[in-house]
Amino acid sequence: MIEFHLDHRSGVATYLQLVHQVKQALRLGTLRPGDKLPTAREVVDALAINPNTVLKAYRELEREGLVAGRPGLGTFVQRSIGGARLADQAALRRDLDAWVRRARTAGLDRDDMETLFSMAMVDCFREDTA
Amino acid sequence: MSVALRTTGLGVRYRRADALRDCSLAVPAGRIAALVGPNGAGKTTLLHVAVGLLTPTSGEVSVPGRVAFMAQDKPLYDTFTVAEMLAFGRRLNRVWDQEYATARLTGLGIPLDRRTARLSGGQQAQVALTVALARRPDLLVLDEPLANLDPLARHDVMRSLMVEVAEQPLTVLISSHVVADLRDTCDWLIVLGGGRVQVSGDVDDLLAEHLALTGPAELVDTPPAGTRVVEASRTGRQARLLVRGAPVLDPRWSARPVDLEELVMAYLRSPQASALPALAAVRA
Amino acid sequence: MIWLTWRQHRAQILATAVLLTALGLLLLGSAVEAKLYIAEHAPPGCPGSAPACWDLARALADRYDAVYTVFGWMPIVAPALIGAFWGAPLLGREYERGTHKLAWTQSVSVRRWLAVKLAVLGALVAAAGLTLAAMVSLWRPVFHQEDFFGNPGVFNMVGVAPAAWWLYAFMLGTAAGTLLRRTLPAMALVVAVITLTTLTLYKSSDHYAEPERIVLSDTTVLSDADSRRVSDAWVDPAGRELAAPPSGVCPHPPDVGRGDRNQRAYERCMFGKGYRFAVYFHPPSRFWRFQWTEAALLTAASVAFAGLAVRRTLRRGV
Repeated sequence: MIEFHLDHRSGVATYLQLVHQVKQALRLGTLRPGDKLPTAREVVDALAINPNTVLKAYRELEREGLVAGRPGLGTFVQRSIGGARLADQAALRRDLDAWVRRARTAGLDRDDMETLFSMAMVDCFREDTA
Repeated sequence: MSVALRTTGLGVRYRRADALRDCSLAVPAGRIAALVGPNGAGKTTLLHVAVGLLTPTSGEVSVPGRVAFMAQDKPLYDTFTVAEMLAFGRRLNRVWDQEYATARLTGLGIPLDRRTARLSGGQQAQVALTVALARRPDLLVLDEPLANLDPLARHDVMRSLMVEVAEQPLTVLISSHVVADLRDTCDWLIVLGGGRVQVSGDVDDLLAEHLALTGPAELVDTPPAGTRVVEASRTGRQARLLVRGAPVLDPRWSARPVDLEELVMAYLRSPQASALPALAAVRA
Repeated sequence: MIWLTWRQHRAQILATAVLLTALGLLLLGSAVEAKLYIAEHAPPGCPGSAPACWDLARALADRYDAVYTVFGWMPIVAPALIGAFWGAPLLGREYERGTHKLAWTQSVSVRRWLAVKLAVLGALVAAAGLTLAAMVSLWRPVFHQEDFFGNPGVFNMVGVAPAAWWLYAFMLGTAAGTLLRRTLPAMALVVAVITLTTLTLYKSSDHYAEPERIVLSDTTVLSDADSRRVSDAWVDPAGRELAAPPSGVCPHPPDVGRGDRNQRAYERCMFGKGYRFAVYFHPPSRFWRFQWTEAALLTAASVAFAGLAVRRTLRRGV
């Protein structure tokens, strides 16, 4: 079972925080196919958030094929994230390491890099939703 | 999309001053809507009109379903016991779920035989909320429900309210002058400033539509094409804009997303700005 | 709604019932005791109008001085209490505590909420007033004091007057509560207006009917002591009424102390010279006419105050 938590200072939308936490649990293996996600009521009772936010997060996960809702029973994990995805991650991580080294040589400090990174993230995700 | 509350051209006049001017808004069913604005913006007046306590000077209000109201300061009869408050609700309402009310209060550990004056602030809020919820309303209107509560009680009240919403079809309209209180709970935002509705819309849509821009000071008067400036300010050689609209392409501007508080503040500081859906869209 | 009315106002209802019961016991006790006292001390032929009986009447009056005192204040204190504790809090307290926003957003309409409260409490107040009147009407004759009409204090405690007064006080308090929206100032306003009303009605009661005129040729005292005297004047032998007692006809040295010998000598002298004495008065037979006139005035005012309270409440400015 997964227990959600919220980071108010992250600036990340609440439903996305829930999505990320489920994905992380899938990567780490704490959630496996067949496991049941907590009901909206349970999440709401723990976090005092809008139930629609939980439903929105679950819909997003469903859309990605990670979970599936069974009417009257709950929401269950369909598949885990691993294998190829983790290998992808390793490759991406190598690219990012190289980028950070390049930036450092160019004289950027930690904050400069974080600013650039978050700007790139914002632009990228806006293209997604647009 | 069915609507739980709609106001059209609502106006309320007290003696000489307008408390509300031309307020048109709609709250879709199933939403948790936040009504925010500074003190004196007309929030309470708008809520009182919505629940029928106040007759508007002009315009119309329509609430298709049953509405229940929890007024500011959560009034209860202080000589009544909790059980008598429930008897009050039972005898004054056509629809009343006594079993639910008793179970809810017992579940919260509130003794039914205690006088309401001897309950803590959080418990009083829960009793007032139970009296409203046991009427099985379609629309629940709460006027500053978290004011005068300690942080723990605020969390508990909000949490139990969210559980109610998860368990039954319920639209909630909550007023507050503290935006942070409503950040995680509301998915619809109404900003009221100076008696006018400035913003009314889905929270996620609003956050996605707005950007905070930072750029060189000389650009403050020439905002990027395709955007509408909500608020502009300059400090030294830097210009800051909060805009609504399409992505910014000009490389001299750097953009970041806004949070709910920034968005509300920007509108409240610019009384002329507004972000309202076209009426046709709201009616759809 | 009846339950809510009872639950919210039971303190006033019970307190009024207890006070009425206590007063009833006091009256009953004093009446029983007075009967025994009369049986024991009355000279033969008394009670009656013989001078021998005056001592008995005086002794009774002394004996029940305290009861009379309680009584003398009742016509003004009782309405003030009713107005302050039944009327003023009815809406004043709701506004003060914000509970009107709770009460008026339930399924029951404001109109019905107010109608039930005004009707139930108004009826109870009027019934309490009638109860008091009945008790006083039974008690007063024990003392052989037939002063229901002539004594304004007693007049306001019998018949329909208490019911009308109390209803008036209740509606006045209710209206004050809606206007001021606070209980304490509304209570103060009630006391002030009740005092003012008492004085006004006392002064204007002479005009409820055209006074009767009687011309006396051997006394200045009316034969029926329970009459209300409006005014009097000397009439000269020619039949003209004089605005002021004529000077130089008879000597009129002032009386010293509590005696009235000089006054009586003066009157004897005047009657001897052919002067007569005209008295304008209301006879006790007008008791019910005056009762109903006063009740009608107060009830009209009650209706006006109730209308004001309803109007202020329904034209909602929250």
